[in-house]
Amino acid sequence: MMERVFSGLSTAAFIVLALVLCAVIFEFAGYSAPAMFNSILEGAFLRPRALDQALRWALPLFITAVGVTISFRAGYFNIGAQGQFYVGAIFAAFVGDWLDGAPALLVIPTCLLAAMLGGALWALWPGILRLHSGADEVITTLMGNFMAAILLVYVTSGPLKDPSGSGQQASSRPLDAAYRISNSLGLSPTIIAIAVAVGIGAWLLVNRTAFGVLVSLAGRNPTMVQWQGARVWRIGLASFLISGALAGLAGGIELLGPNGRLASGFLPGHGFTAILIALVANMSIVGTALAALFFGGLASAALFLPVLAGLPSAAIDIINASIALFITARTKAFDRLRRLFRRPSP
Amino acid sequence: MSDIIIAILRSGTPLVYVTLAGVIAQRAGVWHLGLEGLMIAGACGTILGIVLTGSVPLALLAAVLVCIAASVLFWFVIDKLRANQIIAGLGLTGFGIGGTTLTVQSVFGTQAAVNAPFGLPRVGAIFGPLAGPYGVLSVLVLALPFVVAAMWYLLRRTRFGLQLAACGEHPFAARSVGVDPSRMRLIALVVAGALAALGGAELAAGSLQIFAQNMTAGRGFMGFAAVIFGAGHPIGATLAAMFFAVVGALGIRAQLLFGDAVPHDLLLALPYLATVFGVWLSARLRGGVRSVSGFGELRDS
Repeated sequence: MMERVFSGLSTAAFIVLALVLCAVIFEFAGYSAPAMFNSILEGAFLRPRALDQALRWALPLFITAVGVTISFRAGYFNIGAQGQFYVGAIFAAFVGDWLDGAPALLVIPTCLLAAMLGGALWALWPGILRLHSGADEVITTLMGNFMAAILLVYVTSGPLKDPSGSGQQASSRPLDAAYRISNSLGLSPTIIAIAVAVGIGAWLLVNRTAFGVLVSLAGRNPTMVQWQGARVWRIGLASFLISGALAGLAGGIELLGPNGRLASGFLPGHGFTAILIALVANMSIVGTALAALFFGGLASAALFLPVLAGLPSAAIDIINASIALFITARTKAFDRLRRLFRRPSP
Repeated sequence: MSDIIIAILRSGTPLVYVTLAGVIAQRAGVWHLGLEGLMIAGACGTILGIVLTGSVPLALLAAVLVCIAASVLFWFVIDKLRANQIIAGLGLTGFGIGGTTLTVQSVFGTQAAVNAPFGLPRVGAIFGPLAGPYGVLSVLVLALPFVVAAMWYLLRRTRFGLQLAACGEHPFAARSVGVDPSRMRLIALVVAGALAALGGAELAAGSLQIFAQNMTAGRGFMGFAAVIFGAGHPIGATLAAMFFAVVGALGIRAQLLFGDAVPHDLLLALPYLATVFGVWLSARLRGGVRSVSGFGELRDS
């Protein structure tokens, strides 16, 4: 318990450090830091109906972050959430286009399943390359992100192009309103239900099943798990597939929910933010939900800042980047404190 | 023919500079995913410097200093605070992209692209008609072969380069012969920062004289991919970066010639696919252990 408290304290201390660095940068760029933080706080949590907006961004982020958490727990540094998110959305868009005209009750679940399949496939090949040949998953999943972004450009300006679309950003034909699971504000009982189901399922999987225990053990010491007779590659592949499927599901939700169509380069920071959420939460599922709400608030503040406060939304990118810079930092002081309170092992 | 060579050199030069930055960091044992952020900071610093001071050397100096400061911050975080290099590197990239947008907005009051009245000096201005059609290229293109050769010599033929490689491969062994891995990493990251700044300067002021939001568009990551594809060797990585540039230029050419028959967008994915193939191949050849990033932790203890 004490160990958890100290790990939380250390995280909090580094987030404060990150915010101080942000303040320095804001001042350096010619903005008043207190005013900036005030506006961000207002945009994220204090304005009327702020919680709705924070939730709208938090739920898809939470789903992706749960996937990232499972992959990190298993010891695989899958940073390809962004690509898996895109491919999931692309699969859902193709299926939605293909089934156009069928009853919504059939189309919506099929689309979401297709999204999960797409995301899982986009995590499958880095998983196989890693487990079979030892090709580093950091590079393959990072390259996968770029390839998925290129695929998205191709799909939105080729096969699924909206002929009536104009402007610089290519986009696909909009989905029929009957197939949408929320309006463009993006909060609906369906999405909340999916996120809650994912959260409960993941919590049970991680904390209450043999698979969850094996995943965490394999992440720390794969050799030991192998010697105990578990098949490490099967655990690894499953964690790749689950993380891909959840990122893909988030892509499908964004498509069927708030967005309603594919646009090239939509939500470019989704995967990165999800990774941050998993790390801030120190890879616990409950923590992920809380962290997702925090980053969801920041994401909604990014829309609020330029419109109502006249400040650039890049401020939010800087806060995210600054947290990323410090979140994995460890200092000797905290390590020592933690060791002091560690219970002697039996 | 000369126009396609010019196109390849124009798109390839910034990429090679940023790749060399990645190579020196890689040899020090740092997986540098912050190159993208350094490069865009270099691009922004150069253009803002030219607009505000009216002098190219001052602008280049400013760009290099900004990138060195950011590199020192990165070094502090990954070396002194033991943060994960990959996450911190992605953070540095976010910092560069967000910071340049914020700075442009703050200085000019808008996020529109910034135009500079002039760019880096051209080859034609030095050699006159001797340069022929290649006179339009900037001096940084001319300097490139010398920089590559110097990097090769520095990393492969000097005491410093070998000590640096030792720090990257086996910091403990390096320390046992009196080399301080932490200090070597700082030096490598500072040099990498300066090189990435030059890459950004060439991108923004080499032929365009413009700074636009997010104008690096993943070139820093592509440079990182070239480092991996080129197995961390200065010449190999340079060739990999030039290969990426050739693929990009040929893709545009193919679209001009064949129209929509060739899906140009998908051709752009070739460099990334090639990198995945290269990583797979090197993992197979080396037995899969050495190429693994080890979660991006420094191998100090």
